[in-house]
Amino acid sequence: MKKTNRFLTILIFIFLYIPMFVLIVASFNTGKDITNFEGFTLNRYVELFHDEHLLKLLGNSLLVSVLASLIATVFGTVSAVGINALNPKMRQAAMTLTNIPMTNPDIVTGVSLGLLFVFIGTKMLGQRDSLTFWTLLIAHITFSLPYVILNVMPKLKQMDRSLTDAAMDLGCTPFQAFYKVTLPEIMPGIVSGGIMAFTMSLDDFVISYFVSGLDFVTLPVEIYSYTKKPIQPKIYAMFTLLFALIFVLMVAMNVMQIQGDRKKKEKRAVSDSKAMRTFKRVAAGFAAVVILVALGFGIFGTRQEQITLNVYNWGQYIADGSDDSMEVIAEFEKRYPHIKVNYSTYDSNEIMYSKLSNGGITVDVIIPSDYMIARLIEEDMLLPLDFDNIPNYSYIDESFKNTSYDPENVYSVPYTWGTVGILYNTKHVDVADVTGWELLWNEKYKDKILMFGNSRDAFGIAQYLLGYDVNTTDKAQLQECADLLKAQKPILQQYVMDEIFATMQNEEAWIAPYYAGDCLVMMEENENLAFYLPEDQGFNLFIDAMCIPTCAKEKEAAELFINFLCDPEIAGANMDWICYSTPLSAAKNYMDPETVSNPVSYPSDEVLANGSSYAYLPEDISRFVESLFMDVRNS
Amino acid sequence: MSKELIRLRDLTMEFDGERILDGINLYINDHEFLTLLGPSGCGKTTTLRIIGGFLTPTSGTVTFDGEVINDLPPYKRQINTVFQRYALFPHLDVYDNVAFGLKLKKIPKDEIDRRVHEMLEIVSLKGYENRSVNALSGGQQQRVAIARALINEPKVLLLDEPLGALDLRLRKDMQNELKRIQQATGITFIYVTHDQEEALSMSDTVVVMDKGRIQQIGKPEDIYNEPKNAFVADFIGESNILDGVMLADYRVKFFGRVFECVDKGFEPNESVDVVIRPEDIDIVPPPQGHLIGVVTSVTFKGLNYDIIVDFRGFKWLIQTTDFHGVGSTIGIRLNPEDIHIMHKSEYSGMFGDYSSYSAEYDELTEDAEDEEE
Repeated sequence: MKKTNRFLTILIFIFLYIPMFVLIVASFNTGKDITNFEGFTLNRYVELFHDEHLLKLLGNSLLVSVLASLIATVFGTVSAVGINALNPKMRQAAMTLTNIPMTNPDIVTGVSLGLLFVFIGTKMLGQRDSLTFWTLLIAHITFSLPYVILNVMPKLKQMDRSLTDAAMDLGCTPFQAFYKVTLPEIMPGIVSGGIMAFTMSLDDFVISYFVSGLDFVTLPVEIYSYTKKPIQPKIYAMFTLLFALIFVLMVAMNVMQIQGDRKKKEKRAVSDSKAMRTFKRVAAGFAAVVILVALGFGIFGTRQEQITLNVYNWGQYIADGSDDSMEVIAEFEKRYPHIKVNYSTYDSNEIMYSKLSNGGITVDVIIPSDYMIARLIEEDMLLPLDFDNIPNYSYIDESFKNTSYDPENVYSVPYTWGTVGILYNTKHVDVADVTGWELLWNEKYKDKILMFGNSRDAFGIAQYLLGYDVNTTDKAQLQECADLLKAQKPILQQYVMDEIFATMQNEEAWIAPYYAGDCLVMMEENENLAFYLPEDQGFNLFIDAMCIPTCAKEKEAAELFINFLCDPEIAGANMDWICYSTPLSAAKNYMDPETVSNPVSYPSDEVLANGSSYAYLPEDISRFVESLFMDVRNS
Repeated sequence: MSKELIRLRDLTMEFDGERILDGINLYINDHEFLTLLGPSGCGKTTTLRIIGGFLTPTSGTVTFDGEVINDLPPYKRQINTVFQRYALFPHLDVYDNVAFGLKLKKIPKDEIDRRVHEMLEIVSLKGYENRSVNALSGGQQQRVAIARALINEPKVLLLDEPLGALDLRLRKDMQNELKRIQQATGITFIYVTHDQEEALSMSDTVVVMDKGRIQQIGKPEDIYNEPKNAFVADFIGESNILDGVMLADYRVKFFGRVFECVDKGFEPNESVDVVIRPEDIDIVPPPQGHLIGVVTSVTFKGLNYDIIVDFRGFKWLIQTTDFHGVGSTIGIRLNPEDIHIMHKSEYSGMFGDYSSYSAEYDELTEDAEDEEE
C-alpha cells in the first residue's frame, strides 16, 4: 500500500512537471523541431534578448501583472477584512457575490468588461481609443481580486477574534492592531493570494484580449496571434525564464520563511522580527525592480513628443530580424525617428474585423485580405488613401491594380499575394496520383490527409473541384460542396490550421492544402515535401493589402509607413523572410534569386490566370457556409 | 478601606433589542479583588467588556477615577485584560508577547528587557523567552497572558474566566497564584467566573449576577451565609429552600411546625423562603428529631455522603459523614442559626427542591462547562 502510494505520488509529479521539462529542453535545442534534440545551444536565449519587441511585450505583461496583483492584494485584503466584520448572513452573501466572478467564464467577463470600457470611454467620455493600458489594468485587478479575498478569508476566519481586542487592550489603536496582529496572522493568506493573482494575471489571454487596445498588448495576447508561422524557439526560451522566475520566487519565499523562524529562535537580542523585515525588504525590492524594468520597457519606449503609429497586422507577417533578416519596423523607426511604431497582431481577418468594429481602439494601418477589404469598403470602415504620400505605389505591378475588391485603387496598397495549393510528401505519395484537388479525396491515403480548418478555404477547394464559382451565393451549390466535404471526412486525419507545420514536417501526414508561402517554409525543413498547384481546376489567388481604417489618428504617418513597405529594397528584404509573394517586381532584385525563380512563389502569368480571388459574401451566405462547415466537422 | 476606583451607574446594554444588562449599579475599590459570578448569559462578561472598553453601554455611565469613560477606547484606558482563551499572539514568541505593550509605549530596549525578565520570573516562566506560544501548555499560556497584561502596570486587571480551560488541579494552583500576584502587586482585579467555589475562595467582594441584574453584592461569607434570594442561595453552594411563614421576629413556621430562628424585621405572617444548608443539618435518631424522613438515595462524595431524604413528599439534600442506607428512617434537628429567612422573590419555588436531585446536578455541571458567549 505504502509503495503504491509513493509510486502514485511520483507519477503525479511526473505528470505535473513533464510539460515544463519538455519546454525547457526545447529551449536549448539547436533544431527547430521539438521531436528531435539535435544539440545544445544557448542561441535561443541570445535571440530572445535581441528581440526588443518580445522583451517589450514581456515587460508589458510583468508591469500589468505586478501592478494588478499588488493593487488587488491590497484591495482584496481590505475587503476580506470588511466582509469578515459583517454578520454571518451578510458575510455569506458577500462571499457568494465575490465568488461568482471567479466561476464566471473568462469570455463572459472579458466581453462585458470590454463593453463597459468602450461604453464609458466612447459614449460618456467621448474618447475614441478608450481601451488602453488602464482598462487592461482595471480588468486584471477585477478578475484577480476574488482570488485574494478567497485566500485571505479563511485566515481571517481562523484567527481568534479576541486577538485584536487583546492588541487594543495592550495599547494599539485599531490601525496598529490591524498592522501588528491581524496582518502577520493573515500574511500567509495574503501572500498566496497575491501570488495567485500574479500568475492569473500573467497568463490571462481571454479577458485581456477583449479589454486591451493595440497600444498596450500583453505577451499571451500577442503569442496567440502567432499563427502565420509556428511558434519560434526563442519563445520557449522566454517561457523557460518565466517558469524559472516563478520557481525561484516560490522557493525563495519558502526558504526565507523557514530561515526566519530559525533565526528568530537563535538570536533574540538583535531584533525580534528581523527575518520578517528582511523578507519584506527583499520582496519589496523585487517588486520594485520588476516594476522599474517593466516601466523601462513599457513606458519609456513611447516618448511623448513622438507620433505613435498603430500597426495591426497578422502575426509573424513582417520580418523581425530573426534568421538574419532585416528588422523592418526598427528600420522604419530609424529612418523616421519622430514616429514610434506600435505593432500588434491578429490571427484571422474575422478577428481583426471584430476588434475594429467593437470600437474603443486606434489603428492606423491594417493588412486584411482581399474579401475582407471589400467588406470594409462596403461598411465605410476604410479611409481613401492620399497617393501623393505613397510615391512607391508606382512600383506595384499593374496586375495587382484595379482588383476586384478595390477596382478604383482608392483604399488599398497590395502587401503580399499568394496561392493555395497542395503540399504533399514525395516519399509516400505516388506522383501519378497528384492530378488535382481530388487527391484530397483519395482513399489510398486514408488518415494521412489534412484539411483546412476554416470554412472559406475548405469550401473553396470543393468549389474548384466541382467547377463552381468560389463566390457563389447559390445555396444548392453550397450544399453540394458540403456533401462533398462530408464524404471526405472519413479519410481525413484532422482539420488543421497552424498544426500543419509540425504534422507535415514530421511526416505524420502526407497531403494537405495550404498557402504557398507557408508551404515553402515547410519545404525548407523537409526536402521530401513538394507543392502542387491544380492550375486546370482553378485555385485561390489571394492578396493581402495595406489599408487605413477610419479609426486612424495618424493618417500621414500611416501613408509614410505604407510607402516605406513599398520601397523595393525593403519589400525585398521583408518578403525574403515572410516567404509570401511580393506584388513589386522591382523588389525581386533584392531577394534571394532562388526564391524569385521558384514557380511555387511566382507561377507564370498563364497559370495565374486560372486563379480566382474570394469576394465578400453577403452576411446571410457567409453564415450559411459557416453553419454548413460546422455540420461537416461535427458529422 | 481604600478609595473608590470604578463606578457603574444604571448600566444597560441591549443587543438586537435583547436586554443583556438591566440597570447595573456597582462600585469597585482600589486594590480590591472583585468577582462577577453568575451562570452563562447572566451579563458578567458583557459588564467586563464594558469596563475594558470593548463595548459601549446602551445607557448608563462608567466612571474611572471620577471621570466618565464611556467612549474612551480600550487603548487609552489604564486597564488590561486576561482573555478567556488567552488571545496570545501566535506569530510572536513568549518574550514578544509579554513585551508587546511596552514596545508600543516606546520604552527603552534595556528597560523592556529588564521588565520582561522580571515579569516572567513572577509568573514562573523564566527561560521560556524564546518559546513559541503555541508550544506551551494551557497553564503556561495562561501565565504568559497574565504577564503580558501585568507588565503594563495597569490600575485594573480584568480576567475573563481565565481558568476555564484548565484542568481541576491546575486550576486550584492558579487560583492561589492569582491571589498571590494580586496581593503582591496591589492591582485591582475584576474577575469573571461561573465557578462559585473559585469566587468564594479568591475574592474580597463577590457580585452575583443573573439575567442582567445584580442579585447580591457582598463578602464571600455574607453571600454564602445570608443569600438574598433563592437564586443566590441555590447558586452559591447547595440549599434546601422551603416555603415558610414568618409569624413574628425570630419565629418561622414551615412543615407545619414553628421553629426558632435568628432573623427579624419581616411583616407579621409574611410568606418567606426558608434556606437550610445541607451541611448544617444534624441527624439524630428519629424519636429526637424535629422532622422524620426516609433516605431515598445516597451518594459517596469523599468527604461526606450526599443523602436525599424524603420528608412528607418534599426531598431534602443532607450532607453527613455518617452512612445511612437507603430506606432507613432518620430524624433531624434544626438549630436557630441553621435557618436563614429570605423575602419571596421571582426565583421563589424555582430552586431548592431535590426531588430530581441527580438530574439537577448533571445540569449544573453541564452549565459549568458552557462557555460564556
